[in-house]
Amino acid sequence: MKKLFSLIKASMSEGMNLFRISTKKKNIFTTIGLPIFLSLVLMGLMGSYSYTLMEQLAPVNMHFVVLTLFIILTTVMTLIEGIYKSGNLLFNCKDDNLLLSFPIKRSTVLFIRVFKFYVFELMYNSVFLLPAMVVYAIFVHPGITYYIISFIGLLVFPIVPILLSCIIGTFITFFASKFKGKNYVQTILTVVFLIGIMFFSYNSDSLLANLAKNASSINDFITKLYYPAGAYIELITKFNAVKLAEFIGINLVLFIATILIIGRVYFNINSSSKSIKRNKSNKECKIKSSTPMRALIKKEFNRFINSPVFITNAGFGLVIFLLGSILLIAKYDSLMESIVNSNPTMNLDLLNKYMPVVFFGFICFTSFMTSITSSMISLEGKSFSILKSLPVKSYTVIKSKVLTALIIMLPCMLIGDIIVFIRLKFDILSIILILIATVLFPLISETIGIIVNLKFPRMDAQNDTEVVKQSMSSTISVFTGMVMIGITLFLLFKAVQAGLSNIVIMLIFIVAYAIVYAALEMFLHKTGDKSFENIEV
Amino acid sequence: MIEIKNVTKKYGSNVALKDVSFTVNDGEIFAFIGHNGAGKTTLIKAIVGIHKFDEGDILINGKSIKDSPVECKKEMAFVPDNPELYEQMKAIDFINFVCDIYEVPQDIREKNIKKYAKMFEIEDKLNDTIESFSHGMKQKVALISALAHEPQILIMDEPFVGLDPKAVFDVKEVMNEMIKEGKTIFFSTHILDVAEKLCSRVAIIKKGELVKVGNMQEIKGDKSLEKVFLELEG
Repeated sequence: MKKLFSLIKASMSEGMNLFRISTKKKNIFTTIGLPIFLSLVLMGLMGSYSYTLMEQLAPVNMHFVVLTLFIILTTVMTLIEGIYKSGNLLFNCKDDNLLLSFPIKRSTVLFIRVFKFYVFELMYNSVFLLPAMVVYAIFVHPGITYYIISFIGLLVFPIVPILLSCIIGTFITFFASKFKGKNYVQTILTVVFLIGIMFFSYNSDSLLANLAKNASSINDFITKLYYPAGAYIELITKFNAVKLAEFIGINLVLFIATILIIGRVYFNINSSSKSIKRNKSNKECKIKSSTPMRALIKKEFNRFINSPVFITNAGFGLVIFLLGSILLIAKYDSLMESIVNSNPTMNLDLLNKYMPVVFFGFICFTSFMTSITSSMISLEGKSFSILKSLPVKSYTVIKSKVLTALIIMLPCMLIGDIIVFIRLKFDILSIILILIATVLFPLISETIGIIVNLKFPRMDAQNDTEVVKQSMSSTISVFTGMVMIGITLFLLFKAVQAGLSNIVIMLIFIVAYAIVYAALEMFLHKTGDKSFENIEV
Repeated sequence: MIEIKNVTKKYGSNVALKDVSFTVNDGEIFAFIGHNGAGKTTLIKAIVGIHKFDEGDILINGKSIKDSPVECKKEMAFVPDNPELYEQMKAIDFINFVCDIYEVPQDIREKNIKKYAKMFEIEDKLNDTIESFSHGMKQKVALISALAHEPQILIMDEPFVGLDPKAVFDVKEVMNEMIKEGKTIFFSTHILDVAEKLCSRVAIIKKGELVKVGNMQEIKGDKSLEKVFLELEG
């Protein structure tokens, strides 16, 4: 037990320091204050959302629905994130050689990896779940057992989605390891699984209807839908020690069983995922020159396409944009009808009239939800010293990263634009303004991303997931993106309410954002070199 | 020529380099030796512009690395002790990448890549990704990419670690060849007999301070470099 504790402690101190950043001068604000501040803001948002929901549900005595909603939300979130994180977190870690050479069971190594993953998800889940639990307590005034069960629930809820994602991640890694281009296979399989989950959710109406039909009560329905949520709701409404023991026991047994089962194949899969299938053909090497900027972009692109978690993370928003554009034109009439039906203030003519602005908002949403550059400095890791030793200006390196991100984003977004332009027949001025926005918004988003990553680099990560999903830089970028989306959509809505025309609205926003971009560019130009030079690996 | 002038580097309150000054002249092989943690890598990284330093200056052929980093780096090549290269790149792509940044003309890069790949016996591995390479192989890729652009100054941190005996011999040959062309080589090493046989000058660093610098013969007298080093360090 002491050995296991030491291993967990070492593993946590090395890779679990979530918001560790490699700035020269570490101050209390950036290392502790900022993460706490961001968590509190997010918790505040979740709290206010729970409160609003609870105000609607309290009069009909259905307080627990808020808790169920948040439990299911965090479960789905953990599962989706876990699928593309788990392969990278479980296999091919930098400390594999050290841990696998220790006189410990291989399943213990796996346990440490899963435990680390669990602790991280527990922290993330708490940010979403705790506010809902507090709001429930404010409205219901429950007894002490509620707090105990909720604390246990908080610890237990991440287990099932983590285990499921570990199983899927193991399968993907195992299957991908059979191929020469294992990174590409891993990316494709991950995307297939994610689209599968989305497709299943989209088409789950009949399943839910069937569950509801066969359920004796709402509680029974929730339990049938997702056992941990149902068991928790049952326990907080009517405490039962046996049921509590069953709730904890089932999750613990699942956890141990999964570790033992995956543990049997872990070593083999880990080894084969590391093996490199070399080129058998003795092709002549291509020795060809290109400009420094092209060489840097090629290098960045190579890094991007070889990191499944990086591609999936960046590509998710772009795929949604493409699918959204296709959905918009394929089911335009029914989509408009359902929007009008769900919102009494809307009418079809108004919606059709402002469709260019709606699409403009969609471009803004996609652009600010996608931040590729926020990981690009950190992903250099120890090889950052190569860049620093080369005779190229820091600013050129920085620009190459922003340009690479644009090269990745723009084709998808332009295809989405064209699909919509063909079907919706916007006027030429609207098309021009939308095309400008398609370039301008990603440019701003990626410039923000690189500025944030230069200020908050994480150069000692154990794997790409720690950079792409669990670093201060990516967290701040996501948060900034959400704020930008919130502000833009709110102002767009106000502009529509004010009765301004499509062209005027889009023109005002483009001018405003061009000024924002100019300011960001000036800031990057002024501070980028210094921040770049300050990063030491 | 490398002129290191009163260089001081601090990590918080810890002084990694304290007022270090010496010159590495054109046409000489200069060895830089010291215990682990003495400050060798820190100084090397400062020379090649990877690390900033707090006081003093470093001049590369008369230009300051602080004021004109790009111009200085164009004159140099650096081979790190632990070659953390771009793992997912093919070896040839990495070498091409470095050549692109140094803007090496096509004919020169072709000639040099072929020459050094043959010398280090990795011609048939250039199409493989770097992640499949051993430490020694990565070191060879780092060496080829450093030599392909024909630098005036070659800076190496523990260049012989991980190399097979044949490659060690070849590196020493390349070093001698470069010196004949009037180029400058500065490297750190723990292999003192190599330093003794190969280098014309040497500097010994201890806890961030330079304790000895000068001609190899003057420093060691009639003793071995190993003995002098151990006496100084002891």
